[in-house]
Amino acid sequence: MARYIAQRLLQIILTFFLFLALSYMLLEAMPGDFSQLFLQDPKLTLAQREAIAASLGLNRPPHERFFRYIGSFLRGDLGVSFQYYPRPVVDVILERAPRTLMLFISSTVVSFYVGFFVGKLLAWRRGRVLEYITTVGGVTLYTVFTPWFGLLMIWLFAFTLDWFPIGKFITPRLWRDAPVEANVVFNRMLLTALVVSIVLLTWFILTRRIDTRRRRVVHWGGMGLGLAVVVGIWGASGLGPYALNILHHLMLPVLTLTLISFAGTMLLTRNSMLETLREDYITTARAKGLPEKVIRDKHAARNAMLPVVTSLVFSLAFALSGGVITEGVFSWPGMGEVLLTSAVVQDIPMMMGALIFTAIFALLAHLVVDILYAFLDPRIRYG
Amino acid sequence: MSETILRVENLTMHYTTRAGIVSAVDDVSFTLDEGESLGLVGESGCGKTSVANSLLKLLADNAVIKGGQIRFKGTDFVPLSEEEMRPYRWRNISMVFQAAMNSLNPVYRVGDQIIEALETHLGLYSHAQARQRVTELFTMVGLDPALMDQYPHEYSGGMRQRAVIAMALSCNPDLVIADEPTTALDVIVQDALLRQLKTLQEMIGMSMIYISHDIAVIAEVSDRIGVMYAGKLVELASADEIFHHPVHPYTVALMSAFPSVTGPKRELQTLAGEPPNLLYPPSGCRFHPRCPFATEICRQQEPEFKDHGGGHYAACWHPQEVTV
Repeated sequence: MARYIAQRLLQIILTFFLFLALSYMLLEAMPGDFSQLFLQDPKLTLAQREAIAASLGLNRPPHERFFRYIGSFLRGDLGVSFQYYPRPVVDVILERAPRTLMLFISSTVVSFYVGFFVGKLLAWRRGRVLEYITTVGGVTLYTVFTPWFGLLMIWLFAFTLDWFPIGKFITPRLWRDAPVEANVVFNRMLLTALVVSIVLLTWFILTRRIDTRRRRVVHWGGMGLGLAVVVGIWGASGLGPYALNILHHLMLPVLTLTLISFAGTMLLTRNSMLETLREDYITTARAKGLPEKVIRDKHAARNAMLPVVTSLVFSLAFALSGGVITEGVFSWPGMGEVLLTSAVVQDIPMMMGALIFTAIFALLAHLVVDILYAFLDPRIRYG
Repeated sequence: MSETILRVENLTMHYTTRAGIVSAVDDVSFTLDEGESLGLVGESGCGKTSVANSLLKLLADNAVIKGGQIRFKGTDFVPLSEEEMRPYRWRNISMVFQAAMNSLNPVYRVGDQIIEALETHLGLYSHAQARQRVTELFTMVGLDPALMDQYPHEYSGGMRQRAVIAMALSCNPDLVIADEPTTALDVIVQDALLRQLKTLQEMIGMSMIYISHDIAVIAEVSDRIGVMYAGKLVELASADEIFHHPVHPYTVALMSAFPSVTGPKRELQTLAGEPPNLLYPPSGCRFHPRCPFATEICRQQEPEFKDHGGGHYAACWHPQEVTV
């Protein structure tokens, strides 16, 4: 396993540099450069514009700039953003990335869970009217034009019903006297989610061997206890209301993204589950007189999950690219928005930084899922 | 005198397909005593497996039991719901499946799959006790107990089949149905397994129903043999009677198609024609289109399944009196 991970990391590094070179070349291939933004400005003379271009290094030949870029990248320096001058690119990413991660990880996890759950039930109870309604409804939402649907959701839930705030990720009035920056809260929320999932996973693994009747109590008790500890810590830190405010802003985009994307997982789960239900070990499970729920969840869904997990990787990578649109509609100031504006104004360092972030995220997600797969399917052994 | 534990009466089971109704099991009756082993033999598609699955009501979505009774120790299974059937499954009647190779779930350890049955039916919730029981079972079927923590794909075909047998025996069932238990295995492993099954059966004292298309397999393990043809049980008698004094022409043909190792050399006789399409079963006796002795009555009326002396049942208008 360690050997496999080492191999994969090497592969990832190679892929990453290939990606870096290709992205840089593509950005270079765009006509014009950042200094031409000032073309319309009559107060700037040609010499001044050239001075701007020279100060940004845009007068150097592309290959030279590329190698210098790689050089500074290896030293951990992604350069300075043109549009947010003089903020370093890394600084902008560190500010924006947690917001994007928060939004897309939660929506991907929620839509994956909903899709899997519904798909599982659809396969189990085939041929009901509900199946047609859910399938047609799900596919309609899956194919709907995202910005339009996003606006519709905002109009309905935020504007008309006033259940959720309209766009943005915090309520400025509440945060005026906040002791910390929003990003601190974001980072802590992400950290909490990570710690809680690791602790719960460990808890489940540690207690899997105990008496079945008590296991349920222990599991739910553990989950309740974990939740109580989290609420307690957040309450004591005094940041609770701020976290709740962010959560409140998060709900509508997550709901929208879930509605749009759950049908993919749902249909895949349903098909995979229908195939699994024909397997001989399902008949064995029935013959063993196991309760229906155990056959469905433990025997069928567990096996049906394998191809669905693969699709999760792809959806993680696509979630970020789709973020450009969703973040725009919900005016969520994350990486998607940065990616869009920097492409428009040819802010090459910022653009590269945003692309690098996406690439690292996608490549690591692939690695994580590959490793996860070894645990989900014992037949897979990485030698 | 041992007790009768299973009494199947006039069992009829249909599959509803797009092309029409397939009567896979038609009016099948037999009984099974405690500790007895019954072999069901017949060509592919004759309804052997459908009978086996009906006994536990493990029916496909399109299968319906149209009539008859399945009385297990006095309880009729036919009207029971899926949830009411559950306590009987595995606890009283367990199965070793046709595709035993695939009847273990690939993502769980073999031992855990057995423990699951123990928990459900015996309330054996203590992990240590359950593992103790699995160790016993593995030793009983000739598997190294250390294997219980491995996954099915790490087993060989023969090992998997043994594990499946261990699983079938886990809850001390009264009856084990073995549906083509050895078809996928090579002859040597097949023989070893059959012997083992026979020994285990005698040791535990359970009843068994063996299902196979291979009469050699059936002969080795069964006290009584039932011969099925086109969804019907055509003959039922002791193994000895079936082999030496078959009554039904189909059984006679089956015996002549089977070479004897010790007896004189002879030309093996094959049966012309093919088993009927059960969508449109032939009128009268279902065997008549292929039967060399068929007459007018065979085409018109179904023969009764009746005793031809000494518990030798057969359904035929022209019972043969041959000695093979």
